Amino acid sequence: MTTLYLYPVWLRAWHWLNALLFLTSLVTGISMHFSLGGLIPFDVAVPVHNTSGILLTVSWALFLVGNAFGGNGKHYLINLRTLPMDLYRQARYYVYGIFVNAPHPFHVSVGNKLNALQALSYIGVMYGLMPLLIVSGWAFLFSAELPETIFGFGTIWVVAMAHLLLAWMMLLFLVVHVYIITTGETPTTNLKAMITGWHREHDDGPAAARGARGRYG
Amino acid sequence: MTSRDASPRPQLPTDPAGGPPTRGRRSGRGAGRCLVVPLLLLVLSALAATAAADASDTESGLQKDDSPECMRCHWMETMAYRDRATRKIVDLSIDRDAYRHSVHDELACRDCHDRRYKHYPHRVSSAEEGLSCVGCHEKHQEDSDHSPPNLAGLDQEYQHSVHALEADEPFSCFSCHDPHSFRPLPNDTPVPQVVAANNGLCLDCHTELLTPVPEGHDWLPRPQAHWSSVRCLDCHTPLEGRDLYAPSHQILSAAESNQNCVECHSRDGELLAQLYVHRAEQEREQKGFFSHAVYNDAYIIGMSRSPIIDRIGLAIVVLMILGIGAHGYGRYLAHKRKQRETS
Repeated sequence: MTTLYLYPVWLRAWHWLNALLFLTSLVTGISMHFSLGGLIPFDVAVPVHNTSGILLTVSWALFLVGNAFGGNGKHYLINLRTLPMDLYRQARYYVYGIFVNAPHPFHVSVGNKLNALQALSYIGVMYGLMPLLIVSGWAFLFSAELPETIFGFGTIWVVAMAHLLLAWMMLLFLVVHVYIITTGETPTTNLKAMITGWHREHDDGPAAARGARGRYG
Repeated sequence: MTSRDASPRPQLPTDPAGGPPTRGRRSGRGAGRCLVVPLLLLVLSALAATAAADASDTESGLQKDDSPECMRCHWMETMAYRDRATRKIVDLSIDRDAYRHSVHDELACRDCHDRRYKHYPHRVSSAEEGLSCVGCHEKHQEDSDHSPPNLAGLDQEYQHSVHALEADEPFSCFSCHDPHSFRPLPNDTPVPQVVAANNGLCLDCHTELLTPVPEGHDWLPRPQAHWSSVRCLDCHTPLEGRDLYAPSHQILSAAESNQNCVECHSRDGELLAQLYVHRAEQEREQKGFFSHAVYNDAYIIGMSRSPIIDRIGLAIVVLMILGIGAHGYGRYLAHKRKQRETS
């Protein structure tokens, strides 16, 4: 059994807090958007959505701080030279190798815990979609300060459509994210790692072959 | 910003065209209070009570010139008479507190009422004065100390309103606005209060609408919910040329009014931006930065609705879930195969 301590307490706490806030925003947002008063009453959904959105902003700021000072940022540094081949290998594994019990092309280590697809998607979400979602959310709250029109359209409509589009993309990410974490050695390997902090693999698993830093139990 | 009467007290509306006195929009409310008051008793009691109340009227227009003379009688709530023609009660009382809080507080009685009021009781002809809000405001436009807002634009709108064109009874500014208590609501007034105040003006007369399913509004889902969030004006004035802070006075007839849900509940509905900004701005002024953000209830159901984005988004998510299901099943089969091979 190979055991790696991949997720420090602050990172796990941030992850689950972020997940809670995101799910809260998602459910209240769906309730507001589709007028589903039966799901959550409208007058409850609005302040809860506003609050979770503000806290999500704080959470995102904490993510930046944690990456800058907590050492987590290195996992989002992409090696552009090897990226195309890494992506190909990873994608090929998901669409073919995984069905023929091929070995996982990426080996988790303390120094490199995200495969190329993970790193790229997390960068896209956390440094692309999330800030845009946050900006569009705040623009909603302070639309009175914005110009009446932008690009020839009503500003509120542009903001609303951007927020909606980003929300759909984030929902899509959530669906994929929840599934992809089941593709570890066992379906719950990665989930348990994000709960306990310890990534465990059997010695005949991919981690045994890498010879990377780690603790062996 | 919208405006309304600050006081629910009755008034003496007068036809701006100089016609005969007309009944007030709320004049029926005082029915039964006092029909005939002996003049002598009235004057004597007025003399006694006014002396005590005068102290609170400092700097008010009610203290200027010979206004105290007027208020000797008109302070009394029971100052009223029954109009012989209409058989309805015409209330002649002036609420001093409401007047002091009104925008017209600096005006003495005679600044507006300047025709033959020397006789007691006043002659009927005295009330045939051509009171004109628009004219008076225009006349004092150049005043250096206090220039009133120009009402010419509102008057033009009003001339095209259903009230001017189709009203069964004589209609004037005073039918809705009481100049003795008129005061615009401050900018930091909570949105529900603004809506209630605005709609109160309409519903004071249109009492036939005070039913669970108001006449003519049966097409409107949850009318009571709408009326607590949206001003009557938002649907019953033209979409074009709206000014956030000066609601149009061109009140439309039922047939002409906006009955298109998507004007509010849609992508770029004409009313959407106006409603949203109006509500968001007021909430922010009222509560401050973070409180505004948390308790911001300016969101209007449907404002973020886009059938195209929703359909595409839903389709992609559903396809993704189906794909994940298929992928997971394939992994399950591979897992079973591996188990068989190892065993």
